[in-house]
Amino acid sequence: METQSQSFVVLPGDAIDPSIIPTTKTKPLRLGPGLRHIPPSEIVPTVSGKLIVDPRKNSMWVEYNSHRYIPSQNDLIIGQIARNAADFYYVNISPYNSNATLPHLSFESATKKTRPQLAPGQLIYARVTLANKHMDAELECVSSTTGKAEGLGPITGGMVFDISLGFARRLLMAKSKDEGGLQVLELLGEEGLAFETAVGRNGKVWVGSDSPKIVIIVGRALKETDEGDLGVDAQKKLVKRLMRDMR
Amino acid sequence: MPREAEPSLNEKTFVLQALQEKLRLDGREFDQYRPLELTFGEEYGVAEVSLGKTKVLAKASAEVTVPYPDRPLDGVFQISTELSPMASPAFEVNRPTETEVLLSRLLEKTVRRSGALDTESLCLVAGQKCWSVRVDVHVLSHDGNLIDACCFAVVAALRHFKKADTSIEGGVLTVYTPAEREPVPLGWLHSPFCVTWSVFGEEGDIAILDATRAEEQVRVGSCTISLNRHGEICQIAKLGGTAVEAIALLNCTGIALTKAKELSSYLDGKLAEDAKRRDKSGRAELLTAENDRVTG
Repeated sequence: METQSQSFVVLPGDAIDPSIIPTTKTKPLRLGPGLRHIPPSEIVPTVSGKLIVDPRKNSMWVEYNSHRYIPSQNDLIIGQIARNAADFYYVNISPYNSNATLPHLSFESATKKTRPQLAPGQLIYARVTLANKHMDAELECVSSTTGKAEGLGPITGGMVFDISLGFARRLLMAKSKDEGGLQVLELLGEEGLAFETAVGRNGKVWVGSDSPKIVIIVGRALKETDEGDLGVDAQKKLVKRLMRDMR
Repeated sequence: MPREAEPSLNEKTFVLQALQEKLRLDGREFDQYRPLELTFGEEYGVAEVSLGKTKVLAKASAEVTVPYPDRPLDGVFQISTELSPMASPAFEVNRPTETEVLLSRLLEKTVRRSGALDTESLCLVAGQKCWSVRVDVHVLSHDGNLIDACCFAVVAALRHFKKADTSIEGGVLTVYTPAEREPVPLGWLHSPFCVTWSVFGEEGDIAILDATRAEEQVRVGSCTISLNRHGEICQIAKLGGTAVEAIALLNCTGIALTKAKELSSYLDGKLAEDAKRRDKSGRAELLTAENDRVTG
């Protein structure tokens, strides 16, 4: 059996070749975004994009670049505190979404007395814990299994840049260089720039550094890579050009 | 009243901090415009302007109506602006935001009240018939500096526009179709352009041109200067905000003049290019019946 994940281009309503659908007896087949199961045995893409089939996870989904973020469970997002309520914060995910809720106790070692005080407008990095179609999403800034923050929580300093959702997913891939074709952050690091990033699936990327110049360079590199849909070679050129501009 | 999503605290502090170090988010100089692009439509009087990610469409049209009773010798000229929800989630239909009201007021002051269009030339029969010229401005995408982009689009659309030729014989008004007689351009006197400065810092000591939306959201004041390429200022609007030093303002007007000259020559170039494209037979010169007029 093939273990490498494969990809095909699909259009909405296309028939999917049954031979590419992974079949194992141990795990149920999992359908990701962009696919719909029509009982009894038909799987139809609902969007156009790249159909990814992963036999190891026994799953398949369509990778596409949409514009509106729809929260789904376990997504990491960058939100903005909108206002405070009795025991939770309202968090703005994007101008098009209704506010998500973030309970006051969903922070590392937070108790009723020692909960973080966040001002409206504060940025937070959070995980979506609850996402139903007709309900507001719920967030957490602490891992519910370990009780540690694991990098989540309020974000201080730096700047947020808007990127496309597909680009955010590519940045979050474990092997973003091979699978996502993205090398721009590594290249910038090799040039000796010191910065940190946080990527939100809601199409936001936060860049932090001591010097605003570096933040702007990294932000511009990311935005231009996203908007121009640059390949690895073009990314190299872009980084060289930006570094030259900086000096 | 609908409002735009506020930028986060991090963004606000960062934009200010960067500006204090003479840096802008897109790497531009303080007095540099984003790439400006102007395209004319197939019809006369359709102009689409894009300034970075800001996109504006203006369409000029004309019809014959009855003049206002108190101004029997003047034509009717109006500019209508529309900010649709397509441009930004903060805009709603039929609920004008402050931005929209200020925008239409500024366009009115810049183009209409400065006498850029000769409204007397729109009169056909005194007190009975006149042309009503109307420009509809649609904002397709909002990424800051709507005023400059809209004003440029309006001026471009009006200068590109041609109305049907008419004649009066024995009290009978005839409006000719383009096939019968070549349409005639409007009586245009001068081209005003808006140049908007955004002011930052507690004392308003940082001034930048062509602010993006992110920058507009953290600015402490703005100043719109409308002027033509001869340096004749039509209006200066400094609506509230932090006080700005008089000398700094004077400096801003100086730079605004060079920008207005750039915009003017860009528009002239584009108009000439479009006229050349339309004039396939090379006989446009012969078809026109109008006299030469020195315009600015």
